[in-house]
Amino acid sequence: MLINHRRVLQFPALLFLILIAFPVFAENAPSSYKPVTVPNPATDLWRAVNPQQLPPAEAAMFPGGDSQVQGVQSGVLINQLGQRWRHFRMGQLLPTGSYLLAGAMLAILLFYLIRGKVLIRDGESDKKIERYSIYERLIHWFMAIVFLFLGFSGLILLFGRSLLLPWMGPELFSALASAAKEGHNLFGPLFLLALVLVFLKFVIRNIYQKGDLTWLLKGGGIIGKQDVPSNFFNMGEKTLFWLLIIVGGLIAISGVVLLFPVFGQGRDIMELSHVVHGIAAVVMLSVIIGHIYIGTIGMQGATEGMTSGYCDLNWAKDHHSWWAQRCIDEGKVMPKQQGAAVHHDNPAPAEAEK
Amino acid sequence: MARMKFYCDAERCIECNGCVTACKNENDVPWGVNRRRVVTIKDGEAGERSLSVACMHCSDAPCAAVCPVNCFYTTDDGLVLHDKDICIGCGYCFYACPFGAPQFPEDGAFASRGKMDKCTFCAGGPEEDNSAEERRKYGSNRLAEGKLPLCAEMCATKALLAGDASVISDIYRKRVVNRGASVLDWGVSYENASLRSSKGVQGKATMEE
Repeated sequence: MLINHRRVLQFPALLFLILIAFPVFAENAPSSYKPVTVPNPATDLWRAVNPQQLPPAEAAMFPGGDSQVQGVQSGVLINQLGQRWRHFRMGQLLPTGSYLLAGAMLAILLFYLIRGKVLIRDGESDKKIERYSIYERLIHWFMAIVFLFLGFSGLILLFGRSLLLPWMGPELFSALASAAKEGHNLFGPLFLLALVLVFLKFVIRNIYQKGDLTWLLKGGGIIGKQDVPSNFFNMGEKTLFWLLIIVGGLIAISGVVLLFPVFGQGRDIMELSHVVHGIAAVVMLSVIIGHIYIGTIGMQGATEGMTSGYCDLNWAKDHHSWWAQRCIDEGKVMPKQQGAAVHHDNPAPAEAEK
Repeated sequence: MARMKFYCDAERCIECNGCVTACKNENDVPWGVNRRRVVTIKDGEAGERSLSVACMHCSDAPCAAVCPVNCFYTTDDGLVLHDKDICIGCGYCFYACPFGAPQFPEDGAFASRGKMDKCTFCAGGPEEDNSAEERRKYGSNRLAEGKLPLCAEMCATKALLAGDASVISDIYRKRVVNRGASVLDWGVSYENASLRSSKGVQGKATMEE
């Protein structure tokens, strides 16, 4: 009871403080004319029509109206957040997003030109280690395909009007954009599923541990030539994983809010969700551009783990030396091909196979 | 060139929803779609006012700005119309519109959005005027017949005005002057308007006639 009384008293006290604070501000403002002292009876109406332009404390005094039309927020006459959202999409997300994505691709091009392909230091060996099981590869490629589809269809909706519409024409572009929207909606929830599966499978190996900071400080061994040991996943891969879980999770959750307009969410929540969805998606796409580069043309031997499931022993020594050492100790290293020796001795049948 | 506008006089609207009914009937609007609605502020309290709202045919329309497929166009009469053959039903116009004008029929699974539908100022769409195709997609095209939107034509108290912006504003200006600008604290609406004849100001509004 005592606590309740205190709470009851706190609110009027706060209100009183706000009320006495306002005239103080008003007096500081220079004014050369006397305000109209007679209140306009219509002002209350127009305040209620557009309460978002008022300070939050005052806006609370003007709740929305009522309408015979049943629907979420049908009593709201003016939703000013719409203009804010318009500014976000047209004035912020479009230009910033294009700079970010173009910047990411340019950065990778520069990295490739300066650093070149990351080669295995001692060349490929004739031994291999199992890196990803069939299930791990399956969920990776499941997520990859879903992500790329959602990424491209989302980019069509974001940049299509400025990039594709002028030369495709309205009818053709509309068909493409419609397919992009329907596909984005249809396959969107699969990304959430992929995210959960990937999280459950890979989370333990992605917990940060001792040595990760050293890896970061040494630039992952990519910039310099020195050996930077790491475990199954190095610091960069772990960061990608957590970015994927957190940023990707934001994309998925905000996407669900946008996809199912049946939970009674209003425009304000959907606008906010779109802001989160847009920023997170553009950031994630930029990160994934880097991931795709270093996983394919950027590094010798990197793709094999995700395609065949096995990686080269020397590649593992270069990039995951602690894990490679553990595999050697546990006797998990195996020859690359059963017929490898035969292959070298008899080049003729190998050529015939081709 | 005329610039078509709606204006709803809050001092006259009595929340009869006649405009809503007229619109639904005239345009064969599907279930769940309301091109026009009446919103009442302070319902049941002192100072209650109602406003009828639909697409306001903005000069700088937010819906047209954010549309990813650019399906909106502005007619010579200043109306913001859209092409349902191009619309993909993404809902962006609904996020951007301040008035809640764009409506979406439920289409397919999980209440996903169909093609957007909104007030056309009874001016149809890009199809040939008064063609069956236009009627099916957008409803009535009264403007092509030289008529104004039915919501305003049906308004019993003439609260909802539709037509050329300069004409509408002239009508409303006369009303305000006759009524007594409420800034002078003569109250609003009919209650105090009758007092004004004795103050010799009435002539101002009626001089032209």
